[in-house]
Formats: sequence, structure tokens, C-alpha cells
Amino acid sequence: MTADATEQEVREHLLLFIRDTFLEGDPHGELTVDSPLVEWGVLTSMNTAVLMNHVHTGMRLDIPVERLDPRAFTDVRSMAAMLCGGGTARE
Amino acid sequence: MNLQDLVRRSAAEAPDRTAVRFAGEELTYGELDAAADALGAVLSSLGAGAGERVLVWAPKGIGAVVASQAVLRTGAVHVPAGSAMPLDHVVRIARDCRPRVVCATARDLERIRGLLDPDTRYLDLDAPVSGSGTTPRVSVPPEDAAYILYTSGSTGRPKGVTISHAAVLAFAEWACRELDAGPEDRFANHAAFTFDLSLLDLYAAFRAGASVTLVPEGYAFAPDRLVDFVHSERVSVWYSVPSALVLMLRDGGLADRPPPPSLRAVLFAGEVLAVEYVRRLAAWSPARLLNLYGPTETNACTFHEVGPADLERDQPVPIGRATAGNRVRALAPDGSPAVAGQIGELVVEGPTVMVGYWGQAPVEGAYATGDLVRTREDGAFDYVGRKDSMAKVRGYRVEPGAVEAALESSPDVEAAAVVVAGEGLAAAMTAFVVLGSGARVGVLGIKRHAARHLPSYMIPDHVRFVGELPLTPNGKTDRLALAVQAGPGRDREETT
Repeated sequence: MTADATEQEVREHLLLFIRDTFLEGDPHGELTVDSPLVEWGVLTSMNTAVLMNHVHTGMRLDIPVERLDPRAFTDVRSMAAMLCGGGTARE
Repeated sequence: MNLQDLVRRSAAEAPDRTAVRFAGEELTYGELDAAADALGAVLSSLGAGAGERVLVWAPKGIGAVVASQAVLRTGAVHVPAGSAMPLDHVVRIARDCRPRVVCATARDLERIRGLLDPDTRYLDLDAPVSGSGTTPRVSVPPEDAAYILYTSGSTGRPKGVTISHAAVLAFAEWACRELDAGPEDRFANHAAFTFDLSLLDLYAAFRAGASVTLVPEGYAFAPDRLVDFVHSERVSVWYSVPSALVLMLRDGGLADRPPPPSLRAVLFAGEVLAVEYVRRLAAWSPARLLNLYGPTETNACTFHEVGPADLERDQPVPIGRATAGNRVRALAPDGSPAVAGQIGELVVEGPTVMVGYWGQAPVEGAYATGDLVRTREDGAFDYVGRKDSMAKVRGYRVEPGAVEAALESSPDVEAAAVVVAGEGLAAAMTAFVVLGSGARVGVLGIKRHAARHLPSYMIPDHVRFVGELPLTPNGKTDRLALAVQAGPGRDREETT
């Protein structure tokens, strides 16, 4: 994934990763871009670290950790917005 | 003397010395003093004062430090809430302590306004403070409350641990003496302001006229940044939960670089740091290593400095002996003091013990921690475990029975059993769920239901669907078998 990835592509990628990693594949299709992931206990501090690691190494996007607002993890929609607004792809 | 006088005193002695640093910004003691006074004047005009509470729901940063000092200067009690805290949890806290003023960012104020008492006043922390007003100089009796720190409350109801000015002052004084802290020190603040660990970083620094650098919240997910921080900020005293140190050692390459010469003490508290990691720290740096122990209700009431003999043992380092003039004892089940080798419940009385839970009767006599310890030959203590079924996950107290009851209130769930397996960083809560016939619900649906009834830290980490729950020969849920199935959290270790 590169800096040119659209917000839509980032959303799809995040949904896929969260389904596979934290939701046993989500067979009933319960996850949406607006599911409140922190509120529902999907993104605990540990899972957020796992996701961040994936974003950094798997999706090759830098995350602005200095000014990271923990609320950016509210749902997939705000995460994708944060990554496409503040993240830059690495070489 | 009140807690807010520490900053005033350091500002009078050396106004140009750095007090707080965060993400490239800093405030000197003089600037912190002036900013706290100006904000305090605004808070006073909104009704904050002795006998009132002010809730500060703010992201970690210099603004939150200024707000804490401003609140104390009005004579009100400071109630910190983290910016990542879900709205429902903040509302529960506010309904319990009924703050006169709620300080938050504009966005959060929009969310909470209307959910609290109609006479609650609000202060937008994003808005610039107008004028440079001076807070009326208010002093409250030292035994009065300075802070209310809300602990998770193992059944989901937050409990407000009420801490007096005198308790924090006694603890800061002890920490400064034990660490021989001085103006040259640079404390790192890793803990959120809602955790009692932050009291040491902030107030030991303020008492010593030293600086405290706040660790950005986002670094919790970036161990390499944490390691860089220790070097670039020339940290001299580090204090955190063990899991942060484990992350730094395991994933951040802490021991791959020579230790920064500035680092002279590493303190850890809140859970057990496996001796393997204590050994790695000791091999890496000559800094003093101190294990602190104590629930929020007592602050760190015991401590132990790691010595060579501790590194030889195959068990966690002792929790040690009393801090700050506290009196700690282990009581055997019959109420007699536990002699060497015997296990008893740790009870604490002394200057750092809380006033009581907010809204409840003050603590009378010694506070019983519910923690079991073994008395050592030298009179110090080893931590053994909990007296009750309460478990700790990521620093939060959890009562599995309360989680089970919430899950079983779902029409989709026939039965549920919850176990906590693993220690420290790998500790995780697994719910084994038997679905009712025809139920079409997955992991997310179970979590969504749990979130309606429980605060987020009590939502199970893992949900496993099973046909039936295993039973012991006498017909009870076989929790041991479930704990084995849940495993020691290996899957989490491997994915991080």
C-alpha cells in the first residue's frame, strides 16, 4: 500500500485485517466502517498495538504517534481518515 | 501546606527552570505558576472552590497539567478523566462525584453537555484563557481531598478513591528522599493522569524543582519511540507499569543500545514484572531498580530495591517493606500476624492511605488490600495473589462473575463463563459462550451486548463459542479446564 491509496482502499484493508485478526473472520458480517471499535472492546490497547504494527509494517504507512489522538481509533472510518490525512508512505 | 503549593514554591525559587515538557513544548515553573493562576481564576468564577469537584477530561499534555494545578488552587478536588475514556464511563464518574465544573475539549464538551446535572458548568480547554487573573489564595485542611482517582471497580461501577493533600505530599516527600531527587532530575511521566502512578512523576518532580516530561499517549503503541524518548529526553527517573518495560525490552530494542548516562532509577508498579525482564534490565543499566507495590487505595505502600540476590531467584522480586511511614502487616486468616514463611492478607495504615471511596464512609483503621503476601525472614513481603476471584487485565480490576452475568442477560446467550489467563502483558479475558438455539451472533455481537452493560475494560478480549461448558464432578463450571483452554495468552504474545 502506498501514499496514493485511497481512503476507501485503506478502509477495506483495515476491515479485512480486523475481521481476520480480532473477530474470528466475522462470519455474520457484523463489522462495518462505523462499528465503535474501542467502545465495543475490539480495539483494546493491546489490539491497537497489533493493528498499528500492521499499519506500519504491513501497509507501510507511517503513523503520527507524537500527536496521535486516541479517538482516531473510534472506528474504521476515522482511522482511515487519520491515516490518509496524517500518514505518509515510506520508501 | 497544600499540594498546589509545590509548584508555587518551585516557581518562587527558580521561575526559569523547566517544569513540564511535552512533544517539543515546555513550561518553566514561572510559566506553569502563571498559567495555573489564570485558569484557576476562570474556574473560581464558574463556582469551583473548597467543597466542590472539577472533572478534567483531557488528553495528556501540558494543558492537563495546568488544569490540575488550577483546580487545586481554587480549593476544589481534581478529578482526572482520560481522553480515551469512553463517554459512558466519564458520565458514570460525573454522576458519582457531581462536579461543579467539567473541563474538556470543545468536541468532548459537545458530547457530554446535556447528560449531566443542569447546574453543571463547562470550560472549553481549547479556548484561550482570557486575562491573567489571579486565583483567590485558598488553602484547605491538608487532610481534605485533593484528588479523586476512579478505579475500574471490579463489578463495573467506578469507585472514586479519594486522596488527601497530605497523602500525596507524604508520598512525594518519601519518593524524593528515597530517590535523592534534585532540580537536575528529569522524571518521565508514562502513566495516564487517571492512574496513581502519575502522582509520583508529577509531584516528586514539583517538590524537587525538577522537570517532568510527559510520554505521548500514542507511544503506548510504539515501543521504539518509548526507547528513543528515554535517550532523547535524558530521563533520569522512569516509572511505569512493567508491561511498558517489557514492550521496550522485547519490541523496542531497549537493551540493544547502551543505557543513557542520565538514567539513575527505574521504578515499576501495578503488576508483576517477570524476573527474566528484571535480569535483562539489571544487565543493561546500572540504574537502581525499584519494585513498588500498592493498590490505588494506598498508593505505593511498599517497595523493594532489586539486589543481586533477587536476580538469582526464579520468582518475582519481593514487594518489600513500607514506604512513607506506612505500617504494613500480613494477617493470617485467624487475624494474627503472619510469621516468616506464612501467607496472610496485606493490611495498610498510614499517611498514603486514601480518605475513603467518594460518597462512602471514610476508612477506619487499617485498609485491607485483598492481596495475599508471604512474610519473608527479613520481615519484608513477597506477593502471592488475590484473596478473592478478582483478576487484573491491563491494570483494570475485573470480577469475572459480573461479566458472566452481563453476557447471560443477552437473549442469544444460554450460558457464559469467563476466565482470565496469562500474566502481565499477556493477561487476557476469555468468555466461553454457549449460544441459544437459532442465535445468529458472532464475536462482535457479543462484544456489542457486553458494551451496553459494562465499561469497555470489562468486555472480554476473546470470545469462544462452545457447545457446552465443562463441569467439575460436583456440577460446577470447571474454570480450571477453561483456563487451560484459554491458554496463557500465547497467541497474543506471538501476534505482537
